[in-house]
Amino acid sequence: MADSDVGPLAGATQNWTTLALMVVVGAIALASLYMGFTNYGEGNMETAFMYILIGVSGFVAIGFTFFKAKPATKTQDGPKEVEVVTTLECPQCNLKRVRAFQPGDYIFKKDEPCTRCEGMMTVTRINARKDPKEKKD
Amino acid sequence: MILNTLFSLAFIVYLFYAQKIQGMTMLRQIEVSLRKIKRYRDKGKNVAVEAIKDYGKPEQDPTPQVERFIEHFMIEPVSMDPAGVVQKLGSIMNVREFTFKQEVVRMAPEATESQRNNLENLLEASLVLNQFYKIIRHYYLMGKKTMNIYIIMQIHMILPMIIKQIEAYSAALQAFRDGIPIGDSVGPIVASKLLNGAPTKLVATEMMAGEIEFEGRRVIVTKAQGPGGSVGKPGDAIDFLVNREEGKVKMLITVDAAGKLEGEEVGEIAEGVGAAIGGPGVEKYKIEKAATENNVPLYAVAIKQGMEHVVAPLVEELMEATDKAVSSVKGLILDYSEEGDTIIVAGIGNTVGVGQ
Repeated sequence: MADSDVGPLAGATQNWTTLALMVVVGAIALASLYMGFTNYGEGNMETAFMYILIGVSGFVAIGFTFFKAKPATKTQDGPKEVEVVTTLECPQCNLKRVRAFQPGDYIFKKDEPCTRCEGMMTVTRINARKDPKEKKD
Repeated sequence: MILNTLFSLAFIVYLFYAQKIQGMTMLRQIEVSLRKIKRYRDKGKNVAVEAIKDYGKPEQDPTPQVERFIEHFMIEPVSMDPAGVVQKLGSIMNVREFTFKQEVVRMAPEATESQRNNLENLLEASLVLNQFYKIIRHYYLMGKKTMNIYIIMQIHMILPMIIKQIEAYSAALQAFRDGIPIGDSVGPIVASKLLNGAPTKLVATEMMAGEIEFEGRRVIVTKAQGPGGSVGKPGDAIDFLVNREEGKVKMLITVDAAGKLEGEEVGEIAEGVGAAIGGPGVEKYKIEKAATENNVPLYAVAIKQGMEHVVAPLVEELMEATDKAVSSVKGLILDYSEEGDTIIVAGIGNTVGVGQ
């Protein structure tokens, strides 16, 4: 697939535009706050309130953009792989062993000797390890 | 004065350009998601290429072949005259499967049969990710070109659901690359647990069947041939078994993964009637036809799971649910059959990482 297809998705310029916009909004918000406090000092309460409102809104908008931009950088390399574990059980002595999944493992595979008796251990479970941070459905 | 003018100006601007502003905001959100989907698509392609190099030891770089594969498409048969449409769809799907298998053999000549099946599944996941990317990009670019709010809104509204599906397919890459059981493997796991090491033999394309004795009943258990990633042809297997038994089958139970509704627990078991099998409907048609022609009642056991679990590495709750499903199947057999009856149990789903 030609890369020109994704031309509108070029990321670098977009980041600079956002940054420039944030600087402009920040400057206007700062100026508005200054005007607001000046008017407050002069007793023009209504005008002061409007300027302060604009100033605060500007900073809130900047904060929101900054907050929203954070997770995007985290997922830059795509989704994370999960940790998978294999459970082996010996049908003779009931020894149970849990180890990290190895390619080639499959449920009901019987090719690992038991460490306690002469039997062969069978893979009884293969599952992703639960992420403790994961929210319950 | 200045402030009032500014507010009036803002009001006028909003009056005339509100829809355009809304469209631009939505386009921006679609663009962010599209970048994320592109990363997933690229990862899918790279994982497939690396896995082919690892397992298949090809003489040349498989990247061009993978790029050609992920552009593959299937044209569904015309349904204006519905008679025989299932057979036509089945025939097209057989050609598709054959083509995919041949492509994988050419790409990965040194891979074992199980590895080839897993690579085929891996490439299919990459193909789906590529299709998602291209469709969303199409709507994004069309929306940007026309600035038509209705085109933009169409994709914007369904984007959260699409992202969920894309993330699920993305999780499938790890499972198919390494041969890890997935959420859809619960059916074959239940079948294997019922078989409990009983000898099996091939009864249809990539379908195994074995027999066990349970409380005086003869239970024939069938599942796709593992441990490579395959769903087999359960319809063909059941049709073969029902006809082979010549009217002796008194009950047919299908066990499969089923989509859960929000609020339901992952791994919940539900019992019902009918054929529990997904897909385009060809295999379901064959099962229903075999059951109807031979007057066999169809029972179903569903193991509930979310969209994000179906093709992702199997989670603990689902692994535990397979034991409950085994008990459920046994309960159905005891409740609705008598001693001496013959019963067929089919574990439906992808058998990646599950032996017999």
